[in-house]
Amino acid sequence: MAQAKASKPLSAVPASSPKPSSENTMQDHLWLIAEMTREFTASHDYKTIAQSALERITKYIGAEAASLFLLADAGDTLACSACYGPVDITGLRISAKTGVVGRAVQTREGSMVRDVSQDADFGAAVDAKTGFKTRSLLVAPLAIGQDCIGAIEIINRLDGDGLFTADDLVLLETLARAAALAINNFRLTEKIVAQERQQHELELAAEIQRDLLPQPSSRDFPIHGINIPARSVSGDFFDILTLPDGRIWFNVGDVSGKGMNAALLMAKTSSLFRCLAKSAEHPGQLLNAINSELCETNSRGMFVTMVGGLFNPATGRVVLTNAGHEPPLHFDLRTERFSAIPADGPPLGIAHGIAGPDGYPVTEIDLAGGMLYVFTDGLTEATTFGGGMLGIDGARALIRDHAEESPDLRLKSISGAVKLPGQSLRDDLTLLVVEDMTMGRASSMPPPSADSMTTDGEILRLRVPARPDRLKLIRAAVEHAARFVGANEAWTFDMTMAVDEACQNIIRHAYGGRPDAGDIVIDFIRRGDTMEVHLMDFAEPVDPSKIKSRDLSEVRPGGLGVHLIKSVCDEATFVTPPPGVGNLFKLTKRLQINIK
Amino acid sequence: MSYEIREVDGAAIVALTGDVDLQTSPAVRQKLLESLEKYKRIVVDLSAVHYIDSSGVASLVEAFQVSRKKGALFSLASVSAAAMRVLSLARLDKVFTIHPSVEAALAPQG
Repeated sequence: MAQAKASKPLSAVPASSPKPSSENTMQDHLWLIAEMTREFTASHDYKTIAQSALERITKYIGAEAASLFLLADAGDTLACSACYGPVDITGLRISAKTGVVGRAVQTREGSMVRDVSQDADFGAAVDAKTGFKTRSLLVAPLAIGQDCIGAIEIINRLDGDGLFTADDLVLLETLARAAALAINNFRLTEKIVAQERQQHELELAAEIQRDLLPQPSSRDFPIHGINIPARSVSGDFFDILTLPDGRIWFNVGDVSGKGMNAALLMAKTSSLFRCLAKSAEHPGQLLNAINSELCETNSRGMFVTMVGGLFNPATGRVVLTNAGHEPPLHFDLRTERFSAIPADGPPLGIAHGIAGPDGYPVTEIDLAGGMLYVFTDGLTEATTFGGGMLGIDGARALIRDHAEESPDLRLKSISGAVKLPGQSLRDDLTLLVVEDMTMGRASSMPPPSADSMTTDGEILRLRVPARPDRLKLIRAAVEHAARFVGANEAWTFDMTMAVDEACQNIIRHAYGGRPDAGDIVIDFIRRGDTMEVHLMDFAEPVDPSKIKSRDLSEVRPGGLGVHLIKSVCDEATFVTPPPGVGNLFKLTKRLQINIK
Repeated sequence: MSYEIREVDGAAIVALTGDVDLQTSPAVRQKLLESLEKYKRIVVDLSAVHYIDSSGVASLVEAFQVSRKKGALFSLASVSAAAMRVLSLARLDKVFTIHPSVEAALAPQG
């Protein structure tokens, strides 16, 4: 090292010696630096720029050759990424720890070797390989702050006395700094572009996946599903497929693992389901066929759990097969009891014939006017607002609590109970419900009976002062009006609450809490199977956009009323009031009739 | 609406009866906050609550928050079906500690 040092420092060069034959002036230097810095920073193709930069600087200094080395192999070697001169050494690798170039990288300092035979660090191996004869060297590191990404070397000064000067080294070091920055920028840009491309591809995949899921079912269709991915792509899926004879295939599946791999296997499995269902006789046969197809190609130990079923809306009966999936729940509306349909077979995609000689067994159940819930563990293992896991009991409670909502709203309510707004889930969540409508269901109303038909139109009009002490009176009136149209208890409670909350808003917000500020007029109107409640006040019109539902992820008092109203009503909106009326708030809720 | 506060084993049992609405909830709020001044453990008995509105729920939430700040224990007991319906619609049934009965609320914590 002592020898090496002797040849390195600039002080070893007689700085006072006049510049050799070179006629380059300081102005020329500045011109070159400015030009090359501009080129480095203007282009994203650093290899071409490096190539021409090396040529320019070699000619400018009056040298024979030049090369640019970048660190590779986790910093162990230097690879030549551009060169100029009689021998092309692009791609050549040298040690990053030894040699004159290696030294520049390790010390992040430039050096000038006027006679390589006098420098112990000089390795002659490259010359031996290429036949080129190196006599003198000028090396500058490609340094960025504390990091070094490589080095530039200039070989054999041809002009003048053949000796590099201190000026040459300063010039090279300056250019190397600009080059280092340009290369670094190029690399960062490349990385960002690659990340963006990846993100874009993921979004495309998510879009394709969403397209694979069925469109939302219409309100009176017996099967509804919801899928909420934890990431942009999902490993969960469900599908609904109606046969020409009216029977409906459905499935809910969960691919082991998450991310892109799971998403691709999901896409494959759901296509297989769609394709093979058209010719399968029953779900057992269908899942057998899907299993065989998956085993042909599936690898990496991934598998799929699935519940596949065939529902006959005319009879209310479901034929089910379960391949290692979370047991579906049958909810009997009359007794409010659940029964779990256990898993019968192993997951799909593990091995041929794994379900035994008879294939996947089937279970036939009569929904008896009830509902069948099929879901992924994303529901039962989801974290609730309280912080614990929802569990199967939690899932049952949610299903029971929301039984009277319309299917679409119900699935949203149930999944909404574990998905905090603005937060992503830990696992994908999929939930599907099959409803037997042969006996009429809780969330819809049987055809109105002859005597209740006569009550269509205005049921009651109430005019009360907007005061808190009249709320109890208002609730009593709503209860009686609801009883009058034959609504059941749950409906009555919910509607009473909605009207109460709406009146509170009028008292507090429209009339600003001032006592005796005005009246509230409430109209109860029946339109077929739907009740409308109109609430009118005579205050200044309010801006509906300022009335917001509370963000439920936030535990704090207040702001709950609008949320409660929206939770229980099918519609709750401000409509244009008639002349002389300040605001008209309209609540709509489908009736649920008390069946004796 | 009426309320009754009794002391059992150093805990305050606040039993509410009737309708907790915009008219009555300010009193409920005040009683709960007063109890929290004196007791380290509050159990609100909701068995006889026929109706509770958003302002009543807000009073419970506020008392719950104050209790947490003070390190006091705050729980609901014997929640009536009507109150439970509102709490679950507000998604607060998982936030509050809810006991099936006042006795269960007073039982030694496991």
